[in-house]
Amino acid sequence: MLPIIFIMPILQLIMFGYVIGTDVRDIRTAVVNHDGTPEAQLVVDSFVNSGYFKQVAAPTSDAAMQKLIDGNKAQVAIVIPKGFADSVHAGRTTQVGIVVDGSDSKTASVASGYAGQVVASLSKKLYPALASVSAGSVDAQVRVLFNPTLRSVNSMVPALLAFILMMSTQTTMSQAIVKERERGTLEQLFVTPIGRAEYLIGKLVPYVIIAFIQITLVFTIGTFWFNVPFNGSLLVMGAGLALFALTALGLGLIVSLLSKTRYQAQQATTFLMVPSMMLSGFVFPLESMPKLLYPISYLIPLRYILVIVRSNFMKGSGFIALWPQFAAMAIFAIVVFGFGLSRFRKQLND
Amino acid sequence: MRRIYAIARKEFIHIVRDPRTMIAVLIMPLLQLFLFSYAVSFDVKDLPTALLDQDHTATSRQYVDALKQSNYFVVNRNLTSTNEIDGVFDKNQSSVVVVIGPGFGDSVAAGHAGAVQILVDGSEPNSAQLGQAYANGLSQIWGAKTAISRAEASGANPAQAGGLSARTRIWYNPEAKSASYLVPGLIVLLLAVMAVQQTANTLVSEKEQGTYEQLVVSPIRRSELMIGKVMPWAIMSALNVITISAIGLLVFQIPFRGSVALFAVSSFLFVLCVLGLGLVISARSSSTEVANQLAMMISFLPAFMLSGFVFPLANIPPVLQGISYLFPARYMTVIARTVFLKGGGWDVLWPQVAALAVYAVVIITLSSLLYRERS
Repeated sequence: MLPIIFIMPILQLIMFGYVIGTDVRDIRTAVVNHDGTPEAQLVVDSFVNSGYFKQVAAPTSDAAMQKLIDGNKAQVAIVIPKGFADSVHAGRTTQVGIVVDGSDSKTASVASGYAGQVVASLSKKLYPALASVSAGSVDAQVRVLFNPTLRSVNSMVPALLAFILMMSTQTTMSQAIVKERERGTLEQLFVTPIGRAEYLIGKLVPYVIIAFIQITLVFTIGTFWFNVPFNGSLLVMGAGLALFALTALGLGLIVSLLSKTRYQAQQATTFLMVPSMMLSGFVFPLESMPKLLYPISYLIPLRYILVIVRSNFMKGSGFIALWPQFAAMAIFAIVVFGFGLSRFRKQLND
Repeated sequence: MRRIYAIARKEFIHIVRDPRTMIAVLIMPLLQLFLFSYAVSFDVKDLPTALLDQDHTATSRQYVDALKQSNYFVVNRNLTSTNEIDGVFDKNQSSVVVVIGPGFGDSVAAGHAGAVQILVDGSEPNSAQLGQAYANGLSQIWGAKTAISRAEASGANPAQAGGLSARTRIWYNPEAKSASYLVPGLIVLLLAVMAVQQTANTLVSEKEQGTYEQLVVSPIRRSELMIGKVMPWAIMSALNVITISAIGLLVFQIPFRGSVALFAVSSFLFVLCVLGLGLVISARSSSTEVANQLAMMISFLPAFMLSGFVFPLANIPPVLQGISYLFPARYMTVIARTVFLKGGGWDVLWPQVAALAVYAVVIITLSSLLYRERS
């Protein structure tokens, strides 16, 4: 059991750190060049030199191209029609065909965006007359703040701190308490001079310590190995995570109250955990949730701590800026932990 | 044969007698599928945007309207000075800030570039990447439209200037709905999680309750025990696959373009693989807690992260790619997605199906061997 406690967070860190990436690069591209002129080659070169597209095949027919996309060998195909160069020289508007495999919608939207950009700049090169017409009407400087490289690991590591805390405390604690109830050792304990409060504290503290060790582990590996920049304050993070820990412990207590066997406890925990992962903004951005479901996210404690942890880590937001989230967390902590504690003591006293 | 049936029947009675297990096995996957298919997506729209318009001309308002009409940006705050920008990001009030400088309208009218600054909060990288792309694209489009109308007003014929245009076709998912992409993988994930948890738990609880020794003493063979234990779950999982797919088709209108037979065979093999994994876990676990944690590590995380369900496998480090081959979810996700969206048949998918078949045989043999060792 002990090695698992330390392996799990590291495993999760590796997975979340290396697998989740928004960088859509080296898009596998098939080039169908029906024209074969230097101008057509210029189009191909522009796509490849943009750095986004990697040419993996040059099929000669549309049917061959379809097979490549169906077989997942290529995600994008560029189709240059016959007579391309002639059309350009004649000054007519010419089309370049771009086929995108939509079954991976994320790559698809980003790929079509990049393709559009390549074509737009190529258009100015091939059609000098156009350049003078559309010269400068909007100069939009788009800047990304706080995470200019858009590395998603920078956003995932802080989120993992909260997630691991939740998993650790909620699952392991409820399991431990229910195990004692199953085995009947609970009654035996109460024959001893130990008090109810002492029992509870004794039960909770080891898991808090374990969770603390796990969080420190993830934080250290995240900042040193993954080079995630930390712009915040440990005080703010600590305060937020402590409140969250209380909430998680409270939920663990409540789960243990409702479960007669460890198996039931496990199912209840999973039942709570999976929606937390999906609907809190942990993996899928809150902005993309349908409007109807958006209110549900307000009921999930993980949602608030994620804002606190991510804002503080990446932007250095402090208590004042984050007071709504802190207020929500405090309410959750008091209500959930208080409720769990009072019910638990009542059950013990029976 | 009779012994297998006896074990299977006993297992089935166990399941049916515990209403919570019934709910967990039948209703939960449906609930989760419904909720998550509807909820999870990367399609970012209506990004909350703060606007600082220092120009206040008709031109600047037209630009802002262009952004608003795209449905990608929703102006939720109007700022009056640049000092407020930091606070907006600090307090997470908006994800994007658009600053239109004074003199924007005049510049555009004179044929020069009007300056606009668009600041995007990178702390949510998904939305940020798309927000950046949309902002760039929309500005370019608006700029081109304005330039063309200006050129026409001054008598030039912009059509004669020609131009290169991209004709983009998105196959299989023209609206680029991420649901179509995510739901097939979601089916695989839910199946994997549920199946592994069930089998991991049944065998270990037998050991703990002491009924295991009784079984060992009986004339039943290990392999028969394994198969008998697995059968009810295999059947229930098969039912689940059918219901889940039906819901996906009817409620979410995800197309099903492939062969039903192929999908049925693959699902059956996949369920066997996953149940076999569960058996291996319980063979090696001394208690249910260990079994649960191992099930998490070996079923949920790989199925979520390394199957290609959400995150494309092509860009991850080779080591992790190699590891992903060790888990059946990877193959099943490819099959599910291809069968639903692309309609590929045996000719395209035979490697994955073969992999699942081999995996199933290996893992069930492995679980029988592991049990023999312990006793």
